[in-house]
Amino acid sequence: MRLSSIVYIELYKIFRKPRTYIAFGAIAAIVGLIQLGFYADGESYMKFGMQSLSDSFDVNGNIMNGYLMAFIILQTLLVHVPLLIALVAGDMISGEANQGTLRLLLTKPVSRAYLITGKFIASSIYTIVLLLWMAVWALGISIMIFGADDMLILKSDMVTQVLSSDVTWRYVAAFGFAALAMLTVSALSFFLSLFAENSIGPIMATMSIIIVFTILNTLDLPIFNMVKPYLFTSHMLGWKGFFDVTVNESNEQIIGSIENLPAVLLSAGVLFLHIIGFLFASILVFKRKDILS
Amino acid sequence: MLLEISHLTKSFGSFTAVDDLSFSVKEGEVYGFLGQNGAGKSTTIRMILSLIRPTKGSINIFGMSIEKEREKILQQVGAVVEKPDLYRYMTGYENLNVFARLSNKSISKAEVMKCLELVGLDKRAKDPVRVYSQGMKQRLGIAVALVHNPSLIILDEPTNGLDPQGIADIRNLILMLSKEQGKTLLVSSHLLSEMEQVADSMVIINKGKKLVEGRVNKLLNPDKVQLEIITDKNAMVKSLLGNSRWSEGLRNAPDQKVLVDTTADAVPLLAKYLVEHNIGISSLRSMNSLEAYFLSLTSGNEVE
Repeated sequence: MRLSSIVYIELYKIFRKPRTYIAFGAIAAIVGLIQLGFYADGESYMKFGMQSLSDSFDVNGNIMNGYLMAFIILQTLLVHVPLLIALVAGDMISGEANQGTLRLLLTKPVSRAYLITGKFIASSIYTIVLLLWMAVWALGISIMIFGADDMLILKSDMVTQVLSSDVTWRYVAAFGFAALAMLTVSALSFFLSLFAENSIGPIMATMSIIIVFTILNTLDLPIFNMVKPYLFTSHMLGWKGFFDVTVNESNEQIIGSIENLPAVLLSAGVLFLHIIGFLFASILVFKRKDILS
Repeated sequence: MLLEISHLTKSFGSFTAVDDLSFSVKEGEVYGFLGQNGAGKSTTIRMILSLIRPTKGSINIFGMSIEKEREKILQQVGAVVEKPDLYRYMTGYENLNVFARLSNKSISKAEVMKCLELVGLDKRAKDPVRVYSQGMKQRLGIAVALVHNPSLIILDEPTNGLDPQGIADIRNLILMLSKEQGKTLLVSSHLLSEMEQVADSMVIINKGKKLVEGRVNKLLNPDKVQLEIITDKNAMVKSLLGNSRWSEGLRNAPDQKVLVDTTADAVPLLAKYLVEHNIGISSLRSMNSLEAYFLSLTSGNEVE
């Protein structure tokens, strides 16, 4: 049995399930609401945000543009998207166990390793498609509504300006990185779904782990600082690194630059290792699992 | 032998679900796998299909070990384990198509439809499974087992939850698959009267252990019967029979009745014997079916 056939079957199952479309609807609704809010009140919001800068800088042009909107949306949604991803990934095995279809599947001449890998790839494809959907809404539709211009990112201690001619590739990379972060969540949820017979357990467990790890990240205590570099949640927001540009001696942005590329690559590497780790753990557990459902 | 099970044991912690079970199934026969609920039938079937690992023992199908040649063996095996749960959000056709694709054989749309026709679901192929009745789901489950034209078909309690017509349909399907298509079937059930009508050989298990195995016609020796006698003086009857030629056949039974194993030609003599001793017989029922045989075995009174 070819792996591609299993992936095809699993994708067919995913996209025939009504719950799959909840995530697409939710992203469209949330992004649409944010866009509507900024379309109606964005100017006053930006004025408030730029208050401290207006004394020192003369800011011209379309600040409230599609690129900035995409940045705001990406920042907001990456907190909620894990739940939408766990909704499908956490159901991949536990849902089949709950329905009783897992035992029927395993009476067919499919190797357990192939089946689990096929399911994993299918849930990863779903995650990537969801991220693409988010990109279309967050970036594509925002540019259509708010237009395109240089991007100003306000931080607590500085303002970063990214030229509009240098933004597109950064978004491609940022969404690629976000996909890696969400694939880590998907892999975790998928792994947890091996141990449950309904999808609520893995979904709740995934979200609980993310919340606990995020809390650990925010606590600046020496005991937690030791483990932080190894927590995948510490690296999930690494996509922001693509928008940290370096400047030359004249304080002008260097096109195509990334301020701390090694840190971004390290984060990507940690996430990738987590994904591989969860996949191999899933295969090992599933190969030895007694199917009692 | 097409299927050989040898000293199979499965323990879950301190509980032994299947205990040193051995039996074998010949090619082309319908093999009944009988036992009460919780006897260990489904656990055995799960081990045969490699869904769970045996604690001890071996399973060989087509001369190969299921542990080592799982995928190769399962290409030739079709099975329904317990109730056939299917994808409720898909139609009957879509369900069957999904499982057909997983069977590692090239199966055309026409073959999928033919299989649906075989189980009488061709006209409901486009309906979602969530609107199917229990009987229809059962038949679709059997279609899933048959779609890749396997040599060995394993059906675990295929008549569970079905109405009399549904049970008759499944029985006819089993007989057709065996007699017309030459398939080998392992059918588990606790409905012994049903098995009596379809099985060529059988094994009866209780608490995970084999009680008896053999050809159904030999196990159901028509000369041997079990009499259930209800009289106005049951205690006296037990005493009378205990001191007669029927003493060896006397079984333990509740006070309300007397159970005795005898031969068919001795039944009138026994009745006459009781009447001669002024016993008023309210009921005298002769049981020679597998049901009586099974009940006698599982009640703890093993017979030769």
